[in-house]
Amino acid sequence: MATTTATITLASTDLLSDELALTTSSTLTLAGNATGVTQASGLSRKTTATVGSVALIDTVVLYRADDYTADGANKVYIKNCSTTPAEFITVSLTGDRATDVHGNADSSLTEIGRLYAGDWMFMPWNASGGTKETFTVTIAATWAAGDTWTFDGVQVVAADSTVNNIASQIDAVQFPNWVSSASGAVVTFVSRWSAADIEIDISEAVPVTASNGTAAVATTVEGTKSKSDIYVKPSVETGITYECMLIHQ
Amino acid sequence: MATTATITITSADIAGDPVNVSKTLTCTKAGSTADLDQTTGLNRVHLRSATQKTLLTGNAEGNNLAAKVYIINKATDPSLFVTVAISAQSIGKLYGGDFMFIPWSQTDTSASLKVAASSWTSSTGDIPVEYALFHEDTDFLTNA
Repeated sequence: MATTTATITLASTDLLSDELALTTSSTLTLAGNATGVTQASGLSRKTTATVGSVALIDTVVLYRADDYTADGANKVYIKNCSTTPAEFITVSLTGDRATDVHGNADSSLTEIGRLYAGDWMFMPWNASGGTKETFTVTIAATWAAGDTWTFDGVQVVAADSTVNNIASQIDAVQFPNWVSSASGAVVTFVSRWSAADIEIDISEAVPVTASNGTAAVATTVEGTKSKSDIYVKPSVETGITYECMLIHQ
Repeated sequence: MATTATITITSADIAGDPVNVSKTLTCTKAGSTADLDQTTGLNRVHLRSATQKTLLTGNAEGNNLAAKVYIINKATDPSLFVTVAISAQSIGKLYGGDFMFIPWSQTDTSASLKVAASSWTSSTGDIPVEYALFHEDTDFLTNA
């Protein structure tokens, strides 16, 4: 069991008429027990891309909820490394807000706050993903060795004419954006990330057969957007350097 | 009126090499080096309901101003957690002893920070939570 400690000190000698001096430490543990968390992303450093103008600045996904344990005792640390006071990074979560944020048209994000130059934040993160799109492909009718099936930029060439074998062949391939499993002649695909805008049909999962072979596509689970991906957005088009670390279950 | 916040994250064994991150920020007004000069002070509440409660009410006049929020779950039982949210959007859970320190954009009146003692039952006892807000004067006319 690892022991990871976070300590915060808040101090001021002149904000109030009495001195402010607060220090507290927390041992980072798994959800609901005293066992120490054992996984961390390590401290990383990145500079956001330079774009042509402020209008072209877009958000960047810092952490995808799908990659981590939902409702785990996850902790996120982010620091704005800029030294220019006016430069800030806006930190947001995928949200359900109906209203615009700071007048921008990114109403799907819930803004947490702005990290100005030198600012850092440390917060718990529930990492609630959404629903991953799921569909099936059923290999049927007459296939022959050399027939092909293409999806997600990957082409599978049938080694023989047996539909179950072809399904197994497809399952054995690694797809960039999907994970697969096979049962008989049916291959099930699950998207790697939650999203609400995916809809796969025969125009994207394309069989080419010499005979009448088919590969029918059927959506079995409609995807929904992730509920709490973490986004950052720089305030300037020249890019801002930030550091971050995720300690998680 | 400098107010500083220092975070130190250490671990000798979560990775092959030790982790030791220590950073200090000075709480300043938005886009300037002027110090934040307002605070709620440290507050303490005892939560005894799984129903979401408003901890800090969003003030649209605070939009585009700087604010920092500190919240700590003072429960000593690690299983007692508090769910922190901005309006309906959950941020995460503070388990017993956990704290958070975040910037807070009061984008509008829907940006209120809310907490729920989600694990509370009549047999767990109250969950004490302490919090403080450091912020700018939301009256733009005097926010010099």
